[in-house]
Amino acid sequence: MTPEKEKRHPFVTRLTRERVQESIMFVLLRGMTFFVLFCAAFLFWDIISKGSSKVFEGDGLINWEFLTEHPQTLHVIGEGEDEIKLSSSNYYKLKDEKVLNKWGDFRKSSEYGSARKELDTRISRLQNEWAMESLLVADEKFLVRERENAANKFAFWKEMLADPKTTAEDFEIKVEDVPSMVTQFMLGHFEKERGRLSLVDEKVTLFRATHYPKIENLSPAHAEEVEKAYLAFLAKIPEAYNQSMAAFGAEVTTSYDEFVQTEGPKEFGRFAEALVAYSAARNVLLGQDHDLKNWEALEASLAPFKQAMAVSLPSRDYAYSGGGIFPAIIGTLLLVIGAMGIAIVLGVFCAIFLAEYGKAGKFLSMVRLAILNLAGVPSIIFGLFGFGLFVIFLDWNVSLLAGWFTLAFMVLPIVITASEEALRSIPQGFRESSLALGATKWTMIKTSVLPFAMPGILTSSILGVARAAGETAPIMFTAAYAKRSDLPWEGLEHWTDFFFQGVMALPYHIYVVSAKIPQNAYTADMQYGTAFVFLLLVVGVASLSIILRNRLRKKYRW
Amino acid sequence: MQEAITTSPERSPSTDEVDPIDPAIRIRDLDFLYGSNQVIHNVSLDIFPKEVMAFIGPSGCGKSTLLRCLNRMNDLVDGARIGKGSIEIHGVDVHDKSVDVIELRKKVGMVFQKSNPFPKSIYQNVAYGLQIQGVKSKRVVDQKVEESLRKAALWEEVKDRLNENAYGLSGGQQQRLCIARTLAVEPEIILMDEPCSALDPVATGRVEELILELKHEYTIVVVTHNMQQAGRISDRTAFFYLGKLIECDRTKKIFLNPSKQQTEDYISGKFG
Ligand SMILES: Nc1ncnc2c1ncn2[C@@H]1O[C@H](COP(=O)(O)OP(=O)(O)OP(=O)(O)O)[C@@H](O)[C@H]1O
Ligand SMILES: [Mg+2]
Repeated sequence: MTPEKEKRHPFVTRLTRERVQESIMFVLLRGMTFFVLFCAAFLFWDIISKGSSKVFEGDGLINWEFLTEHPQTLHVIGEGEDEIKLSSSNYYKLKDEKVLNKWGDFRKSSEYGSARKELDTRISRLQNEWAMESLLVADEKFLVRERENAANKFAFWKEMLADPKTTAEDFEIKVEDVPSMVTQFMLGHFEKERGRLSLVDEKVTLFRATHYPKIENLSPAHAEEVEKAYLAFLAKIPEAYNQSMAAFGAEVTTSYDEFVQTEGPKEFGRFAEALVAYSAARNVLLGQDHDLKNWEALEASLAPFKQAMAVSLPSRDYAYSGGGIFPAIIGTLLLVIGAMGIAIVLGVFCAIFLAEYGKAGKFLSMVRLAILNLAGVPSIIFGLFGFGLFVIFLDWNVSLLAGWFTLAFMVLPIVITASEEALRSIPQGFRESSLALGATKWTMIKTSVLPFAMPGILTSSILGVARAAGETAPIMFTAAYAKRSDLPWEGLEHWTDFFFQGVMALPYHIYVVSAKIPQNAYTADMQYGTAFVFLLLVVGVASLSIILRNRLRKKYRW
Repeated sequence: MQEAITTSPERSPSTDEVDPIDPAIRIRDLDFLYGSNQVIHNVSLDIFPKEVMAFIGPSGCGKSTLLRCLNRMNDLVDGARIGKGSIEIHGVDVHDKSVDVIELRKKVGMVFQKSNPFPKSIYQNVAYGLQIQGVKSKRVVDQKVEESLRKAALWEEVKDRLNENAYGLSGGQQQRLCIARTLAVEPEIILMDEPCSALDPVATGRVEELILELKHEYTIVVVTHNMQQAGRISDRTAFFYLGKLIECDRTKKIFLNPSKQQTEDYISGKFG
């Protein structure tokens, strides 16, 4: 027998067109399914592998800082293996700690003793000529504290000094304390003046130097004299200002009165301008007879103290890459809960009308068509719509409320379509028996349709939750802030303010971190970490509604 | 078939009165249409208090439609309407503007072909009618639930599991639960649309017994495809064909000696 003959039976395999098609289709179907699976797996693997390291890094298992902190600047110290990453708050905490330690060490060291002695001798040498202020500067925050006290008490001093009948005992202070206290007050004023007008810094110093002895031994008679001199000094300032401006050049047009309205050189104009003006003023205001050498010597003796205070902690700083995303998590939760609440209420009501009350006809099919089209509208359009209607027209500003309604409108088609489906899947028998028992239509819906449709409605809403949580475009203009330091429940003046505040949100945060700031490895970390948390959140919310749905299903099975 | 067919009823066994009495339901010259499709043609029929009336006829002849007209369940159907004629219950036209359909349905209860208890507990099912009427007192509701379940011959079987889901009951028990649910709102007339068609013979037997029991208190209209059943439970039988009432008479007469050829053909199984 030839092999050909062998094959001659009725069931012999033949390569027909259908067979070829069949095999090709099978390969195609399987290939495409696997391709989709592969892409999905890659997407999830990408987010999980890159993102989980951000969430699960650190000493403990979970990086709590990332979940509970505000976004901050990341300070990176060192390189490679020894690299330390610190968020701003931790960086400054560390720095302060180091300063304190260094200061403490310095105070204990013999260097401190000699520096201190050196300072004291210089001060005592200058004492007749120069203000005690040098000592105050040297002795940490003494001046600041005392100035505060003096400001509070000045009214009393003045009154007391003016009125011969009152005695110091009336104010429960020792008479001998009064002059020094008033002195401190005056010094406080000088400081303030200097702060406001750093242009005339040197003038203040000069004034203080000339009047120091009188201030020190302040008596009612002296008080008048010093005050007069002080007022004269204040009156001279505009003149000095104009002089310095003249020295600077003709371009400066800001008058003194305008200048004092502003809050310092930075406001005064361009910073560089202010600097030039300052140095010009310094030259003009310095009297020729005034000797700066003593001051310089004093300052030199302060150097060891200054050095002790200075700690260098060299770091590379990356905005938005440190801290955590707590406000964004909270914001997204709030947005989703509110939007879904609104969407479910609106959607279920619409669906009830469509499924139970609406009579089949042109109107109903038009409404359905409109809803279907709504589902196809790109989310950015919803964003613009929400911006136009809620933010601008209703004047809600960028707020939770505006975001809620915008997101709610976006997920509404999903909710309506699915709720209608759920309502229609309730057996007609329930409706009929309810009506036959004497229920009105609404009672019928309320007691024997809606409760049984709820599992279905919830199932569909899960889709809406993921969409509402994930969309960036609708909240970009209506509810999201790139950065906000207050949490939504902080700093409310009235409880209604809660609804009219913007919030941070996870998808918008991802957008900001990945598109709005300079990119580097640390922002990428942040981005994937946020995406990972987002994924967890959506999975969490979805499982919650699935659990709820299953419970309801168990309760209402038929 | 234009004249009304109103044979005097066989009185319920408990009484021997012979005087004609007011019918509980009086249907006169009724035409009924679904849109433009007329499915009931000029039907006139009286149903007397405390009798069991059976509707028989081939599928699609309009039995259910007529039954659902009686408590205006057809209001739910888009485009369903009365062409002409009237239905009076205790002398009141049910389609009159002054009639509140909710009150009508409380007086005219209905049991459906497919037993459809709510997916709630047995207790809640029976109490449903009372609760939607706003009866709050637990004592009253408890009492009524027990009474209804007893009347529906279900009490003994379910008294220990009142709080279990009604879908844990057997098909026959579910149908009796539906009857109990209907009884709880104290109707006078009970309409049953093929109440036993989804039940096995034993369960059917139980429901039939129940119907015979209930007819002492209620007027019952029952649609059935089961000739033996009609024979067993009904006092009178109405035979419909293509939306027309062919014949209505005492059940015995319809089955033993029908006056119309069509009736005889149907009963003897020649068509339908
Ligand atoms: N909701 C409806 N809309 C339109 N036509 C209907 C509707 N319900 C019933 N019909 C039509 O009315 C006619 C009578 O139907 P009906 O249900 O009353 O028949 P039936 O005698 O109860 O039949 P069966 O014994 O099969 O239950 C049928 O032709 C049916 O197609
Ligand atoms: Mg029927």
